[in-house]
Parts: sequence; structure tokens; C-alpha cells
Amino acid sequence: MRSAHDERTAREGATGLAIETRGLTKVFGRQRAVDGVDLAVPRGTVFGFLGPNGSGKTTTIRMLLGLAAASSGEIRLLDGAMPKDARAVLPRVGALVEGPAIYPFLSGRANLQRFDAADRHTSPSTRNARVDAALERVGLGHAAKKRAHAYSLGMKQRLGIANALLAPRDLLILDEPTNGLDPQGTREVRNLIRSLSDDGTTIFVSSHLLAEVEQMCTMIAVMSAGRLVAQGTLDDLRSQGTARVRITTPDPADARRILSGLGLVPEPHGRDDVVTAELSVPGLQSEAVNAALVRADVRVRGLEVSGASLEDRFVALTGEGFDVAG
Amino acid sequence: MNKNWRWLPAGIVPVVIVTAAVSGSAVAEAQPQLPAKTAQELLEFVATSTDDAYSGTVEQSSDLGLPDLGAVDAPGRTSSSDPTSMALELLTGEHTAQVYVDGTDRARVQVLDQLAQRDVVVNGNDVWYYDSESNEAAHAVLPDKAAAKAELEAKLQEKSAEYPELQDLPRTPAEVAEVVLATIDPGTDIRVDGTSRVAGRSAYELVLTPEDEATLVGSITVSVDSETGVPLNVTVLAKGQEEPAFSAGFSSVDFGAPDADIFEFTPPAGATVTEAPTADEARAELEARAELEAGQAPADAPAQMPAEEQQPTVIGEGWSTIVELPAGTAGGLGLDLGTGDTAGMGEIMEIKPGMDPDEVAGAQALLEQALTQVDGGRALQTSLVSVLITDDGRILAGAVGVDQLVAASQR
Amino acid sequence: MAQVRPARGRRSLGLTLVVSEITVLFRRLRTWAMIGALALIPILIAVVVRVSSDGAASGRGPAFLNSITQNGLFVSLTALTVAIPLFLPLTIGVVAGDTIAGEANLGTLRYLLVAPAGRLRLLLVKYAGAALFCFVATLTVVVTGAIIGALLFPVGPVTLLSGDTVGIPGYFVRLLLLALYVTVSLMGLSAIGLFISTLTTIPVGAMAATAALAAVAQILGALPQLEWLHPWLFTNYWLGFGDLLREPIVWTSFADNALLQFGYIAVFGTLAYGRFSTKDILS
Repeated sequence: MRSAHDERTAREGATGLAIETRGLTKVFGRQRAVDGVDLAVPRGTVFGFLGPNGSGKTTTIRMLLGLAAASSGEIRLLDGAMPKDARAVLPRVGALVEGPAIYPFLSGRANLQRFDAADRHTSPSTRNARVDAALERVGLGHAAKKRAHAYSLGMKQRLGIANALLAPRDLLILDEPTNGLDPQGTREVRNLIRSLSDDGTTIFVSSHLLAEVEQMCTMIAVMSAGRLVAQGTLDDLRSQGTARVRITTPDPADARRILSGLGLVPEPHGRDDVVTAELSVPGLQSEAVNAALVRADVRVRGLEVSGASLEDRFVALTGEGFDVAG
Repeated sequence: MNKNWRWLPAGIVPVVIVTAAVSGSAVAEAQPQLPAKTAQELLEFVATSTDDAYSGTVEQSSDLGLPDLGAVDAPGRTSSSDPTSMALELLTGEHTAQVYVDGTDRARVQVLDQLAQRDVVVNGNDVWYYDSESNEAAHAVLPDKAAAKAELEAKLQEKSAEYPELQDLPRTPAEVAEVVLATIDPGTDIRVDGTSRVAGRSAYELVLTPEDEATLVGSITVSVDSETGVPLNVTVLAKGQEEPAFSAGFSSVDFGAPDADIFEFTPPAGATVTEAPTADEARAELEARAELEAGQAPADAPAQMPAEEQQPTVIGEGWSTIVELPAGTAGGLGLDLGTGDTAGMGEIMEIKPGMDPDEVAGAQALLEQALTQVDGGRALQTSLVSVLITDDGRILAGAVGVDQLVAASQR
Repeated sequence: MAQVRPARGRRSLGLTLVVSEITVLFRRLRTWAMIGALALIPILIAVVVRVSSDGAASGRGPAFLNSITQNGLFVSLTALTVAIPLFLPLTIGVVAGDTIAGEANLGTLRYLLVAPAGRLRLLLVKYAGAALFCFVATLTVVVTGAIIGALLFPVGPVTLLSGDTVGIPGYFVRLLLLALYVTVSLMGLSAIGLFISTLTTIPVGAMAATAALAAVAQILGALPQLEWLHPWLFTNYWLGFGDLLREPIVWTSFADNALLQFGYIAVFGTLAYGRFSTKDILS
């Protein structure tokens, strides 16, 4: 029922979701670029939107911002329906979508003035001050008057972030904000995001870099091949992961036999003296494994339990590896 | 999620435009309701018409089935004031003119060409012609009106003694109408056929239909303004042709005295001004030339025919009248008399100073295409008029088919 | 850090975006290159006529060419006659074709829309920018023509097509009307360019298509067989500006032209709206 749904979304608005989608789907021809995505981004969080390149992150963001129409599904942004309420909602949203875009023949400052003028809610009288403040904030104050075609990739990226900060925003949607930045720049952006978050701004950061998301975000959602495969706090996701046991032994064949007897599945390993397995049997702890090995006179040189690494978790979820280092 | 309504304006707008265009022309074509008039009454009405101050735009178009000479001209072309090309020009394509008339002695006609204009200004006894393209102006002084009128009256008196029937000259509009009805070929059906709208005004349609089978003329329609009696439009239909062969009429008209400034004309600085001889001077010059030629001409020159034989002959009567110009005329027009030798066609139009040779050549090529070889000469067949140039140099013309001209020429 | 709060909730008329559009347009080198090329037309004509001062080219060449030696002010008219069929449509094709496709190509379109500029508003602003360019381009030809003509030839009262003469101030009023006429003439083409521009993200394609359409329309307009089509071609009244050089001025072509161009604006404007408002911005 429509009215019941409205009531529910109103209530959820009160509980505070900055972004909410239901069954969000985008079809290009035969390809389902985004397939039934239900996002729920609580207000005040720094929310990581993780997924390999081509997993549908940017398409989702385009739909959130009303740039592309959803094939089906609903979007609520800051309690407004998108794209219906775009005019009311978008002025409160700052965005960096699929990298920065600039007018190469304009200065950095003129670029920002142009984008600011596009929003008719902004005041022309404060424009120059706001543009300068945004440029200072991303460390481009010194290059404000330089033509943008002379900007380095990192400077362009900073300009794109400055554009998102032209007015105080309730929500920032940043698509790969650290792309093209050196480690120093990356650190600065992380600090910037943290300070913006401290001011109460909800920040939705998409990235294909696990490490980056792990460092900045309190909550994450993971996309894979157009589908949302996981969503929650970092701790939730970590605890969902299974620990692994790694045994160093001169009797690997015996060790494998014992592990199989416990119901585990030993995995092949490059070294002859190492046996690994997931602790996939509920309730089975590593100490019990050790006891069983000792009882069967398997010589154990070392036994190591690796905790649930997020990376393993994501490899499991997406079937792909992440560039951990970037 | 259905955003298709955003395409709605793009669907509606063309429909609105087409509807507006169609209903606009429907309004234009709607026949106004007017009190019925007979042909006699309508002609009387025309004769009483007193509205002699008006201005408006006249559109003239001809579709005689000739190749369009206008088409070979590039935009911004040079329109020649040479009579041959002017005549050809009027026979093809479309023309627009602004017309300003104030009484009988002040008028201005502006033929509007693209980025050019030709003006004829009549103001009292002064007549000016100006061509913007060549920047040439010509001036003529008309004989004094009052004197001319007195002369005419005197001649009339003189003649009316000779011909008593002239004393019955129509004096009232009703008489004029009667005379017109009587004078018009009896083989013509003349009637008022409904009403129409011309230049936003309601008009009576006076239709003349020849009963003569031989003529090419289908019918002639004159639209007469229902308020003022001023003819607003003339359309000539050729037999077997749906589009009018000739049409001229107002596309807009305003019955009010035009601004007096319009009739003031001073040739612009830098224009070449030609002063035309007055009527007396012209007459004197003609006489002098005739004397000179008579003195020079060898007595036995065979080409020099007696003056009376140079007169055109009229064959037949009514709508199928054929006019025959005697031998020698064609040569006088610059026509080569070589029998059917198309190489001689180059001579049809003389290249005169100021004419673009390429343009003349182009027009000639088209004329060559238009002329067909027939028994005993070459003929030009248009939807309304046919012209036959016989191999012995005679020219026959009439609003009949070429076969009739051929028959007449062999008579 | 001191936060600068924008005025929220109140919406300005949004004229700043128009100002911004014009600023961006005229800060481009390309725009000035085109204006420079247009200014070159009257300069070239005037210099060539001055150098080859045999004068009596009697009736050949573009209209008004022969009047230049007598009155330098005619350079404007000759230049306009030369520029209308080719150079003006070409530059308008570049500007109108670039409107949406150019922003899409730079990627700036998504930031304008996220700002949010509003799709209809952006379309209107873009069209206003193209319209202004039409006027500036036309005025460039006219004004440069008058200046170079005055420098190289004598000037004086101007002879109109009807043979009447107007003084220099009156002539400049007519030149302004002329520029307005030509601007109006180009509005239909601008609307077509705007629509084509919403179809693609490759600005060069939209520019070429727009300029090509202008050429096609003029070719169709020259074919007598298609006479029924002529009143519907947006190029139909392009050379009708001569009606403003008559005495009295014939306004019918101005009115007919405006009506025709308005029809094109309505059709292609709504098409552009239909396309652009439903378009996925994926660049």
C-alpha cells in the first residue's frame, strides 16, 4: 500500500537515513548494470561503497543524483524522492561523480564560480567568498587563478572535491575521491572527510580500494556485478568471516587426514610442509584442532589462526581481488 | 518512473502548427456571405468604383509550362532592364510588387526583387524609373494632362461627326457595363460565380469562360472587392491545367491615401540618369529618321516593303484570334532564318551592352529547348499561348494550339 | 573556519547562470576565432575592392558590390550577403551544436545538473547563449563593414533599393534592424542545433550536422521542383533582409520570417526538451 509505504519512509526519515534505495535497477539493453540494490545509509556515517571497477557503483551514484533514470526501484535522498524532488534535495548534496570535470580554458576559480552559478539557491553575493573558502580547504588557494588545463591530475581531483564543498552540505557523495592523489593528498582527503563528518555531514564514499574504505568508513556496502552483496558496519562484516588455521608440519599427509576427520576441508598449498583450512565447522576452535593433531602424533611445528580478514571476505563475496595498495 | 510525458510538447507543437496552418488557409478560403449580384450589376459596381487611393502588395505568378528562367539565376543576380529578358522574366516564376496609388496622377509601383528593386513613380507629369541593381534612373515628362484632354475631346468631337455611333458613348456605369457585356465576345459565358476572400477582404468572383473550343484559355476569374468595387485579383486558367497559368492580385491592400512622401522621387547621387524625350520630341525624331531612311533606301530594295504591308494581319475572331506578323519581323527581332538549323539559334537574343553573355547564353539554351520543330517552322507552345516562327520569317501567335497556327500559316 | 552560509530556500531568478553562460562562451578562444573570421569577411571585401580599383565590374558578383566605391557603408551589406549563406550558419552551427554536447563531452554537464541547474533551465540558458552569439556574430559583420568601409572609401548618405536616400544616422538604424533580422533568421537553425546537441556527446558531430542542415536547406530552397516546400524551409527568408532597405520598409518578410523561425523554435525546442529531460547523463 502506497500510504503505508509513505508512512514507513517518513518514520525511517525520522530515524535518519540519508540515502535509501529499494530494488534499484538499471538496465542497459540486455545488461543489468544495477540489479535490485537496497541501500540504507544512516545519517552522520562515513559510508563506504565498495566494489571492483564495473560493478555498478557509478551507475548507482548517477541514479542517486538524478543523472540517470532508474529502470525500476525507488530512491530517497535526504527524505526526498529522486528524481522528483531533485530541486529541493540536490542543493543540500555535494557530489564528485566519476572524477572531476573542468572547463580547461577557465581558471580553477572561474570553474567553481560556473558550477555555483548553476545552483539558483546559492547567493551570488557570497559566491566569491565561498569559492575561495572551498579552494583553500582542498589546498588549491595558490592555484586559483591558474587555467585548469594546466592542473595536474591531483589538482583537478582537488578542484572536483572543492566543487562538492561550495555550500554547506547535508550529504556528500564522493566517487573515488582519492583517485590520482599522491599519498600526501590521500591523507589530506581522509582528514578532510573526517572533519566534515565531525561537522555532521553524511559522507558516501565509493571506492575500489579496500584499504581506503577500511581507514575512513564506519559502514560499508559491497557491490559485485550490479548486485549489493553485503551491507553493514565493518565489525559486522569482519565477524561474518571465517577464521583459517595454518599448520606447519613435516607430516602434511597425516595432518590432512586428521583435518578431514574433523570435517574441515584442507586446501592445497604451495609448500609441502604447510596445510591450511577454513575453520568452517561451527563450534570447532583451533585448540581442538591442535589437540586432535597431537593425539594422532602429528608433529606440529607451528599452528597459526588468521582472523577474518576483510580482504578474504570480499574475495569471497565478489570473487575478485582488490588492489590493497592502490 | 514514466517520463514519456516530457515528449508530449514535442508531439503537440507540430500538431498545433499544422492545425493553425490548415485552419488559417481554411479561413482564407471560406466563402463570405454577400448579397447576390448579376454580372451586369457587378460590372456597374466596378464602373462606379471611386476608391482610387490605396496601397498594397501585389503578387504575380505565371505558370505557362515554360522552363523557369529564374531558376538558372543565382541569388543576387543581375536583373536586366533589357526588354527581352524583362518579358521572359514576367512569363516565368513569381513576382511581388508594392503598389501605391493616390488618384489618377500619383502612383508608385515597386517590383521587389531579392536584394534589388525596380521602381516606377508617377507624380503629376513626372515619371521616374529606377533600377537599384544598375543604379540607373530614367525620367520622362508626360504631356500636360489638361492640354491632352482638351486635344482628345476635340478629336472626339471631330470623329463623332464622322461616326455618329460614337455619340452613344456610355456615360453612366450601367451603360459602361452594358457596353462591356456587349463588346465581350459573344462566345463567352460571363457570370458571377460565388464569392471569395482576397487579401483579407470579401470579393465577388466574376468568371469569363470562352465557349470557343479552339482556344487554350480555360477561364478568366476577376475578384472584385465587395465594398469598393476595385478588382483585387485576376486569374487565368489554361485548359487542362489545374494551377493558374497566370495570376496577379493583392495579397494585402489598404484603402487609404498613401503617404505623400512616397511619390516624391529624387534620383540618388551617383545614379545614371537618362532623360526620355517628350512626346513631341519623340515624334519629331521618328519623322526625321523615316525621312532619312526613305532618302537612303535604294528604290529596288526587295526587303523594303511598303509601310502598310508591315501591319500585322488578324486571322479569325474571338478567343481563337491569331495574329500574324509579316515576313521580316523575325529578322528584325534578331532571329536567324536558317531553316531548322539550330546553330542559328544563337541569334535569337542579341547580346547587348550591359547584358551578361553567360546569362543570355543560358536563356538561349532554354529557349532552344522550348522551341520545337513543326511543319514549316519552329513553334513555342505554352499552356496559354502558342507562337510559330515560319521558315519564311513570319510570326504567328494566338491563344490556340500550335496545329491551328500551322494551319493558319499555310492558308 | 568561518562558514559562509548561502541563502537557502529562496530561489533567485537564476540570471546568474545566463551571465555565467555568456562569460564561458566569450572566454573561449574558439568563440573569438570565429568572430575574427567573420570580421575578416568585410575587411577582405573592402581591401580587394580598394586595390582592384577598376571599379566597373558592372553587375557581377554579390549584391551591393558595385556601390562600395561610391559609398563605403555598403561594405556591411555586401559582407552580410556573402556571410549569410555559409559563414554565419557555420559559426552558429559550431555554437549551437556545442551547447549540450560540448558540456557532455567535458563532463561538466553532470556537475551543472547536480548543482542543480535544472534541465529545462539549462536548455533555455544554452539557447539564450546561442541566440546572443547570433546577434554578436551578425553585428560583427555589420559594424566591421561600416568601419573598414569608412576607412577606405568615401561615406555619405546611403541610397536605398527604392532609389530614396537616407542619412547616415537613419542608415545605422536600418543596419541595426538588419542585424536583428539576420539574428532572428538564425534562431531556427540555433534551435535545430540545440536539439541535435542533445542527441550526442560528440560536439563535432552536432556542429557538423547543424551546419550541413543549413546547407541542405539552402540547396532544397534552390530547387524549383520543391517549390511547395520552400515556405517551410528555415532558410527561406535568409536573404529577405533587403526588404529593410526599401522605402517604405516592407515588413512582411520580417513578420513571415519571425513566424517561421518561431515555428522552428517551438518544434525543435520541444524536441530538445523531450530528449534532454529524459536523457541519461552517462558522460
